Amino acid sequence: MMITRTNAGWLRALESTGEEQAAAIVDLRAYLLRAALFSLHRSRAHQAHLTPAAIEQLAEDCAQDALLAILKQLHEFRGDSRFTTWAYKFAINIAMVAARRESWKHVSLDQLLDNSNVPEWPIRDERTAIDPDQLALQADAWAVMRDLIEHDLTDRQRQVVKAIVFDEIPMDEVVRHLDSNRNAIYKNLHDARSKLKTRLEARGFNVQEILDLFGKGT
Amino acid sequence: MQPLRLERWVRLIYETQDEESPCSELFDLVAEYVDREMRGEAVAESMPHVKHTLDVCRDQCRACFEEYEVLRSLARLEADGRAPSVDDLRQSL
Repeated sequence: MMITRTNAGWLRALESTGEEQAAAIVDLRAYLLRAALFSLHRSRAHQAHLTPAAIEQLAEDCAQDALLAILKQLHEFRGDSRFTTWAYKFAINIAMVAARRESWKHVSLDQLLDNSNVPEWPIRDERTAIDPDQLALQADAWAVMRDLIEHDLTDRQRQVVKAIVFDEIPMDEVVRHLDSNRNAIYKNLHDARSKLKTRLEARGFNVQEILDLFGKGT
Repeated sequence: MQPLRLERWVRLIYETQDEESPCSELFDLVAEYVDREMRGEAVAESMPHVKHTLDVCRDQCRACFEEYEVLRSLARLEADGRAPSVDDLRQSL
C-alpha cells in the first residue's frame, strides 16, 4: 500500500532531516519504482532481449536516478500538480530514455546519421497506392520537397530531419549521438519545418493540395 | 516511413508556428497538464501551447509525447483506483 501525503506533507518530510526524511524517501522511491516499471512494461517491445530480472534491475536504477533528480530539483516544485504526478514525470522520462537506449544500442547510428541523403521515395509500403495519376502527382510533389530538403536546409537540419522523420530514430538517440540536447534538436526540426513551409508556399503549393496528394490513395 | 506519418509531417510543416515551446518547457508543464486533464478540464483551451507542443511531438519526434501518454495512463489508473502495484508489475514482466 502506497503511503499518501498532501503536497505540503511531501515537501515538509523531504526537506526535513532524520527519520521523517528517510521515511519519505523510502515512500517516494516506491512511487518512482512503480512509475519506472510501468514505463518499461508499456515499452516492453523495446527491450525484448532483456530478461525480467534485467528489466527489474533497470527499473530500480531508473527509480534511483529519478529520486536523485527530484531531491536536487525539489525547490522547483510549484504545487501546480499533485506532488506524485510531478515526481512520476522524472521516473517516466528516465525509464523511457533507457528503454529507447536498450532498443537501439545494437544499431550503428554512425552510418545512419552520416548518410544524410534524402530518400528517393519516403513511403516504405506502396502496396495500397493504386491510382497511377495520384501516384504521379505525389511523386512530383515529393520531388519538390526532396529538392528543398537537399538544397535549402542546413547540413544539420537535413541530418536531423532524415534521422528523426524518415529513419524514425528516437530523438534521445539522436541527442546522444550528436552530443546535443532535446531542445537543440527540436529547434533544428522547427527551423527546418519553418524553412520548408516558406519555400513550398513560394513555389505555389498550398497546404490542401499537398495534403490531398499525400492524404489520399496512399 | 508509413503514409500516415508522412501526411502528418507534411501537415506539421504547414502548421509550423514562429514560436514553439521547447521540450524543456513541456517537461515543466506536463504534470500540471495531466492533472488538469484528470479533473476533466478542457486543457486544449486552457493550456493551448502545451497541447500544440504535444501535437507536434506526436507527429515528429514522439519522445515527449510518449512520456506524456505513459504519465496520463498512470494518472488515470490512479484516479480510478486501479494503479498496478510494484508486485503486479514485477509479475507481469
